[in-house]
Amino acid sequence: MDKHHGIVAGIIKAFLWVYCSFAVFILGYILYNSFRPKKDILTNTLGLPSGFTLDNYKKLLVDDKFLRFFLNSVIILVASLILIVIISSLTSYGIARYKFKLNKAVRIYFLIGLMFPSQLGIVPIFLLMSKLNLVDNLLSVIIISASGISMPVFMLSNFFAKLPEEIHEAAIIDGAGEWTTFYKIMFPMASPVVFAVCITVSVQIWNQFFLPLIFLTSEKYKTVPLIVMKYTKNLFITVDSAMAVSILSTVPILILFIIFSNRIIEGVTAGAVKG
Amino acid sequence: MIAFFKKRPYIFFLLPGFILYSIFVIYPIFAAINISFFEWNGIGEKVFVGLGNYIELFTNPELMSQMTNALGHSFTLFVLTVLLQIPIQIIMAYMIYIKSKGKNFFQVAIFSPQFISTPIIVFIFTLLFDGNIGLFNRILELIGLGHLTRSWLGIPELGIYIVWIMITWAGIGVGMVYFIGAMKMISFDEIESAYLEGAGVWRRLYYIVIPQIKSTILNLVLAAYIFGMTIFDFSYILGGISGGINRNVDVMSLFFYRMAFGDQNPLGGRVNENSMGMGTTIAVVLFLMLFIVAIFQISLMYRKEED
Repeated sequence: MDKHHGIVAGIIKAFLWVYCSFAVFILGYILYNSFRPKKDILTNTLGLPSGFTLDNYKKLLVDDKFLRFFLNSVIILVASLILIVIISSLTSYGIARYKFKLNKAVRIYFLIGLMFPSQLGIVPIFLLMSKLNLVDNLLSVIIISASGISMPVFMLSNFFAKLPEEIHEAAIIDGAGEWTTFYKIMFPMASPVVFAVCITVSVQIWNQFFLPLIFLTSEKYKTVPLIVMKYTKNLFITVDSAMAVSILSTVPILILFIIFSNRIIEGVTAGAVKG
Repeated sequence: MIAFFKKRPYIFFLLPGFILYSIFVIYPIFAAINISFFEWNGIGEKVFVGLGNYIELFTNPELMSQMTNALGHSFTLFVLTVLLQIPIQIIMAYMIYIKSKGKNFFQVAIFSPQFISTPIIVFIFTLLFDGNIGLFNRILELIGLGHLTRSWLGIPELGIYIVWIMITWAGIGVGMVYFIGAMKMISFDEIESAYLEGAGVWRRLYYIVIPQIKSTILNLVLAAYIFGMTIFDFSYILGGISGGINRNVDVMSLFFYRMAFGDQNPLGGRVNENSMGMGTTIAVVLFLMLFIVAIFQISLMYRKEED
């Protein structure tokens, strides 16, 4: 087909180049400023550097122990992901592979969470968590994040429903129990969808702001977004740390994204086409 | 007993998810409805007031003005997303779909802000538009337009539009990727025959591509509605718990958070003593607004499945 798309398309493409370069530019700009002393950033924003320094990073990593907050975020992410994958694949398998009377009702039941984000039910959840003594504990955020299984269940049950019945029958005839069939045969087959689930869910969990804000009140349990906010709130005092913390919390994730970008974008697309 | 479960192995598969999901997703909806009938601050005595909280919410002038303001902003975000963001996403997706030069770079660069957490997005916009250290003002000065410099983020009228721009920059890639996925499902023959009949790029988009991605568009419109009603972090980070100067960036979820968890209540004792009651009342109002859309969405999903 034609490679030439006309003037309008040309203008839009030019605009896209500018727009996309902006994302790269702004990251470069923050990276550059993260190596400059505070005085330079505030008074000589665009000017040439009077010298580069690693102090901003040193302050953040050594004095403020930034890695601990990073670790909190990682713990919440990994634990929630493991729980979500186990629980939602079990549930979806139960819904998709077995025919029982209330099947349709159960499927709708698990869809409700798509429309009602947990933050609206946060008052009862908060009361429940304080009864369980889990307020100000990473576990509270993990459990609540892990119970939002509507999207994963939806994606996975669509996948399991499409697997041919023969695989299931053959495994049962070979003497495998229901359980073995699931985790030796069916679950491994779902790994592309599981990957897509992990991507969609991790972005949400990694960036989530509302739950940690409510449940993690003491400093030592704060997650990355909360701690970043501490630095960006009052820029005249902490603009140097804000630069460094932006780089430290963004660059590792972006590098991971760029390495796996094809698979990640495919995964998100797969989730969308199914949803 | 054992025979019962032997016959119904699915129960074991469903049980863990069912329990967790029921306790932390479904039960809170009903518990919130229940609490909304009480006057309660979460610790003290729980007094049954029936629909009292709802009457208070809709008749108290201060609460009502806060709610209409927040609701207006939530709707503004929704409308802007539908009228501007979705068309832009479709055009971006189409540019990548028709294999423009640099499409991989486009895709990665447009999607990547998704991985930047909200406080940093707000920080990036501060770096650009701040009155003192903002790049935009520096550039204005450099090109001799110094008299136009101002503290862009501090202009109350612009507040909610700035929130929308941030949200769009951060999230535009996801919808775009959805559209690319939907476009890839269109059969190539159709596009090719339209091309052979002489339809240009834009005619093909309008007559062939858009009708085929209708359900994706509809899904994203519904998602934008849910998003507008539940967005919280941008407004909170930008404007704090009060929702900015004159509540210029206040949205429904922030209004809810302020009533339920806010410690300095501008209304004095009355609502603060009733934080849990009034908080859940607002949550229930939001539930109802989402519920109407939810019924619509579920019926759509099932219609699609039965096709």
